Amino acid sequence: MSKIKNWVVENHDLAFAILLAVCVYCYFAFTNDLFATHRTTFAIMERFAVLGLVGLALTLCIIAGEIDLSIGSNAALAAVIVVRFTDSLGAVTALLIAVTISTTIGIIQGYFIAYLRVRAIVLTVGTLMLLRGVALFAAQEKTVMLTDFRVPDFITTKMFGYFSPASILVIIMFVLVGIFMNYTRFGREIYAIGGARKEALAAGVNLKRPMIIVFAISGFCAGLGGVIIGLRSGTAQALGLQYLLLAGTVAAFIGGVSILGGKGGVIGAAIGTLTVNFLNTGLVFNVTPAFMVQLYLGVLLMIVIMFQTGSRVFDENQRRRQLLSDVDARRGPLLARRQTGPP
Amino acid sequence: MSKRLIANARVTGLGFVDRLVRDYSALVVCLIGLFLVVFIVGMATAPNFLTIFNFKTIIRDAALVGIMAIGLTFVTLSGNFFLLSMKETAALCIICFATSMSSGYGFEISFLLTMVLAIIAGAAQGALIGIGGNPIVVTLGAAGLLFGLGSWWSDNLVVSFRRPHGAEWLGTGSFLGLPNITIAFILIAISAECVLRYTNFGRQVYLIGANRAAGKATGHENFPMAIKVCIIASVCSAFVAIAFSAQVSSAHVNYFSSEFGSSGDMTIMVIATVMVGGNSIMGGFGSTLRTSSGAIFISTVDNMMVLHGFNSGPRVLAVGLMIVFSIIVFALVRRGSRAQE
Repeated sequence: MSKIKNWVVENHDLAFAILLAVCVYCYFAFTNDLFATHRTTFAIMERFAVLGLVGLALTLCIIAGEIDLSIGSNAALAAVIVVRFTDSLGAVTALLIAVTISTTIGIIQGYFIAYLRVRAIVLTVGTLMLLRGVALFAAQEKTVMLTDFRVPDFITTKMFGYFSPASILVIIMFVLVGIFMNYTRFGREIYAIGGARKEALAAGVNLKRPMIIVFAISGFCAGLGGVIIGLRSGTAQALGLQYLLLAGTVAAFIGGVSILGGKGGVIGAAIGTLTVNFLNTGLVFNVTPAFMVQLYLGVLLMIVIMFQTGSRVFDENQRRRQLLSDVDARRGPLLARRQTGPP
Repeated sequence: MSKRLIANARVTGLGFVDRLVRDYSALVVCLIGLFLVVFIVGMATAPNFLTIFNFKTIIRDAALVGIMAIGLTFVTLSGNFFLLSMKETAALCIICFATSMSSGYGFEISFLLTMVLAIIAGAAQGALIGIGGNPIVVTLGAAGLLFGLGSWWSDNLVVSFRRPHGAEWLGTGSFLGLPNITIAFILIAISAECVLRYTNFGRQVYLIGANRAAGKATGHENFPMAIKVCIIASVCSAFVAIAFSAQVSSAHVNYFSSEFGSSGDMTIMVIATVMVGGNSIMGGFGSTLRTSSGAIFISTVDNMMVLHGFNSGPRVLAVGLMIVFSIIVFALVRRGSRAQE
């Protein structure tokens, strides 16, 4: 029992995320009979495949103290490319092309962010527009469609009851990234440049390397997510997938990242994404229109941010008060000595 | 000895980048140069480019995005990056205005209601940013919230109101041959520039944007400033929403989304305008004059591409390239100034 208590005290963000996920799940399970069934779980895992990737990518970016706004555009570009090339080149080649392009875009972004020393939001808001243009160009301003529907069928086949090839791939991806972040030097560098960038640079971390790795993973995740969406639905739109950024950010923040960087992890990303998925699926089950989901997500994000900022401001004030009282405590005897000092 | 060293350092330090840094107006010269190039190319290749009618079209196209961008410039100059909720604020405001118009409240009351709504939305976001929330994440959440509210209020339907409705003068009217919306753009641009240059408030915006610590030390906290600039940005969005609604006598939440217009998402277009105009996105440097010229520049390029028969893909691509180009130029200039420190 005390072990659990210690764990909760140590990982209170993660504990809060788990609690929230359980609460949301229970709420929908009790209000809707269809929610806690095999099929719904499968549907949730299907959603997890895409949103999990985006949540993971944004979690890594926020851990590194940056945010990748171009993630939706990158995913849309990958979706358009994969859908356009699947008919002529086959699904595997098209997938490889799309993911390679997305990853390359991520690498270029990471390089430029580190080289130019700009904040990622500044550059990625530019690439957001740029990649939309490229995607429009690639799709020739039309909605592209598959003609052969064997690929979508394969992607959504059920395996082991709850999973599909897509969600298994994503779970493997989560495990790999988790190992990478926790047990390699490069992963620790990413935490370092997020939590304390100046100190990390002073200690000899080359800013380019972790930045390129983060944005490469982010581009890869965005590309893979786009590919899964494109192949699963068989269609792709150059202007679609804009909702991914909001949903992914909500997932990352529920998972316990801090906007200041250096905090959070892959497990948090998974739980955050699951919470968003429960909410999303549950709302759809209760016949809520799509725009209401956006409203709830927005409210959720605002609340999480408010809590985080509030607790930070509170901490700072506390520290300042502590500092002041320390100074007073030290100055008190000094003053006293000066007043009653030696004649 | 040491004097000579310093002199040497001064002489060797005078590179091209250094001069650019010393004289920031070189950026403006760059912009005007680019503008002239585009202008000459347009003149040479598109026969209809150099007509007064086309020129009016360019400025009218620039007006809506330009007004929103002028509002956003205040936020950017004060060091609060940008608001990702510009389009969504406009979406909620357009629904508010049209609903109020269609239930017969008349133009003045609808206008006031919409403005009050915009001020509330802006103040709430500004307060959250002011207590230390990251502007991007706060406004991303606010964007979802405002858009959801707008869709919920209008039930995702088109709200229309009958002509004559008393707002035609703003939407489609013209004065001395210029559309009223163009005149509004020019007036707002001039007054915003005057506010930034000649009032206390304007100088505070620059101070807090350039050096937040110095601002705090001199008693200019970011909290009231964030609220004020967010209200300005929201009110500008609301004004654009009202003008657009008056023009088409209807409203829908998607009017400012990329699904509706051809030239991309309104929020990103607005941010693009601020950036292409040559404002520092980190704050403290720039002006609304630059933003207005950025709007006209983007509109000119867009107009030329339309005259040449390009589709929306290349046009969005061109705007994206312009943003990335301006970011890179700006970052290089700033890096040059860092190297000298």
